[in-house]
Amino acid sequence: MSDGPSVLPAAHGVSPDPFDPQDVDWVGVSPRLVTVRLVTAAIVLLPPVVVGVLIAVLTGVPGLWAVPGVVVAVALWTALLVPRQARAIGYAERADDLLVRRGILFRTLVVVPYGRMQFVDVQAGPLDRWAGIAKVQLHTASPASDAVIPGLAPDEASRLRDRLAARGEARLAGL
Amino acid sequence: MSELVWSRFHPVTPAVKGWKVLVVVLAIAVQQGAENVTAARDAVDAVGWWPVVGAIAGVVLIGFLYSLVAWRMARFAVGPDAVHLQQGVLFRQQRTARLDRIQAIDVVQPLLARLLGLAELKIEVAGGSDSAVKLSFLREADAQVLRNELLARAAGVEFGTPEVPHAPVAPEREVLAVEASRILVSTLLSSAAIIGLIGIVGVAVAIAVTGEPSIAITLLPFLLGTAGYAVQRFNSEFGFRAAVSPDGIRLRHGFTSARAQTVPPGRVQAVRITQPLLWRSRGWWRVQVNVAGYGVSDAQTESVLLPVGDRDEALLALWLVLPDLGAEDPVALLDDALTGTGPGRFVTSPQSARWLDPLSWRRNGYALTGRGLVLRSGRFVRQVDVVPHERTQSLGLTQGPIQRRLGLASVALHSTPGPVSPTVPHLAADVAAHLLATQAERAREARASAGPERWMEHMHARGVAPAAPAASATPEPATPTPAAPPPAAPPAPPAPPAPPAPPAVSPPSEVGRS
Repeated sequence: MSDGPSVLPAAHGVSPDPFDPQDVDWVGVSPRLVTVRLVTAAIVLLPPVVVGVLIAVLTGVPGLWAVPGVVVAVALWTALLVPRQARAIGYAERADDLLVRRGILFRTLVVVPYGRMQFVDVQAGPLDRWAGIAKVQLHTASPASDAVIPGLAPDEASRLRDRLAARGEARLAGL
Repeated sequence: MSELVWSRFHPVTPAVKGWKVLVVVLAIAVQQGAENVTAARDAVDAVGWWPVVGAIAGVVLIGFLYSLVAWRMARFAVGPDAVHLQQGVLFRQQRTARLDRIQAIDVVQPLLARLLGLAELKIEVAGGSDSAVKLSFLREADAQVLRNELLARAAGVEFGTPEVPHAPVAPEREVLAVEASRILVSTLLSSAAIIGLIGIVGVAVAIAVTGEPSIAITLLPFLLGTAGYAVQRFNSEFGFRAAVSPDGIRLRHGFTSARAQTVPPGRVQAVRITQPLLWRSRGWWRVQVNVAGYGVSDAQTESVLLPVGDRDEALLALWLVLPDLGAEDPVALLDDALTGTGPGRFVTSPQSARWLDPLSWRRNGYALTGRGLVLRSGRFVRQVDVVPHERTQSLGLTQGPIQRRLGLASVALHSTPGPVSPTVPHLAADVAAHLLATQAERAREARASAGPERWMEHMHARGVAPAAPAASATPEPATPTPAAPPPAAPPAPPAPPAPPAPPAVSPPSEVGRS
């Protein structure tokens, strides 16, 4: 594997996807995550659009319409991207570790052994609670292990939390 | 279980700590005064010198009074399972650290404390910054005794019985010592010194071209910063010595302030061996470690296993952590890791990675051994990371759009905070996926067979039965496999508890107790 021609882009479809191990059943997150993220984006992007339109109307300079135009373009792009991003998030509970993957362009897969877990966070902001979702985050002794599962139904979040805690205890180890 | 016996710190403590306030005030005054010299002079002229001196004296007095109250309100106790500390004047704090969670114990002596024969005992446990239990200050001999006692309890050694009334002193044997001249030269050849030199040359050229000497002023903070870094590094690494003992690795170093670190077996999470470009002609290497508890901020002083040394010394330092690499031909493997390029013993990036990393794609790679993963990278600054399998926290696989196009992916081994962040960039995607899957499996198996947290659980007294230096990492007797190190390297500490040269920070009392 180490010498000779490497995996060529053409052969990429042939080789199995490294982010999709064969014996893993991925669980997706709630579609309500899309709603929450879109609402958040709207809250951030709407004021600039309104202010930009107002300024353009009041000053009457045609070139100033570019500002709200760009923001609207960003908003449309976000609206297209967010559902795909949410669909790309997945997690899987294996016998000894938790797998979390996310990202479309920049993809990440994290493998966290239960025995390495130090604590579990369940968090929900006001929008999350309104939509009925929560975020579960697994912490190890390493700040680099970035195992976050957003957009879980509250029941599923607490079930996962308890299950992770129980499994972590069963495989308790030092550092 | 007996009641806790609470003790106070040494009564001279407030005198040592009170000066901190003065240092802070003077630093602020000097900084403000330097920023606006004329205004400062005008202010002093207006009121005269006496109020200024009086204000400083008042601040110092307040500092000492506060330190005195803080000393009165602080106390500590050592129980069978934990060490307890209560402190704080307005905001009270009670901290309990479990002994089996100790990651390292340091005896730290700042200059003033050192002159007065005092020392701070710093008990490191994992858990973010400022998680250590700091016992300051104790008489230096008391600090040594307490350290031995804590390590003995943490190791699971039984004492307090009629046969073994006191915590036995772990015998230790010095294996590494770095000359001061080498520390000095290595500091001058470090990247900080080089950057400082480039800055000076750049400003000299600018002055020569423009004829404006005032440009030099702009460089002053930068020069002070780099010079400060270099001085601090030399000051910290001066007189560096490493020793092995059943309690783990002992490191002693420091010029004005002295530090004696003890890292018990199995507490080192990852090792990094690096060679800056300018050290290459001399064949020097630097070895750093990740120890949970040692923060990132003090990595320059705490996380150094060998500040500078030749190849054999670097491999000896690695051997201290990982006595058995679990490879068939460890010397050849490590030679390949330190200076080699291209595939062979290492699985390297495929050719398509040359677009992303044209300089070092031939060198980046990993090699698997029975005990750990060896990661190699860096064309100009050579770098080798070694992570014991049982110390892997979690694993990550990442892929950007270009990597995807080229069929590549990067693997990261997540370690505790510290100078070592082991990653293998740009592996072939299927190789990376395979590494991720199999490494998770190996880490699990290694953890299952790892030694106990209390590394001397089965022994009754240290110093009686000789033990391998890293008992938990290697069930079988340790042999200096990785390095074929110089004859100074012992396979195991000797039975007589007599260090070759009593180091400056260990008082005679340590020997007397054995």
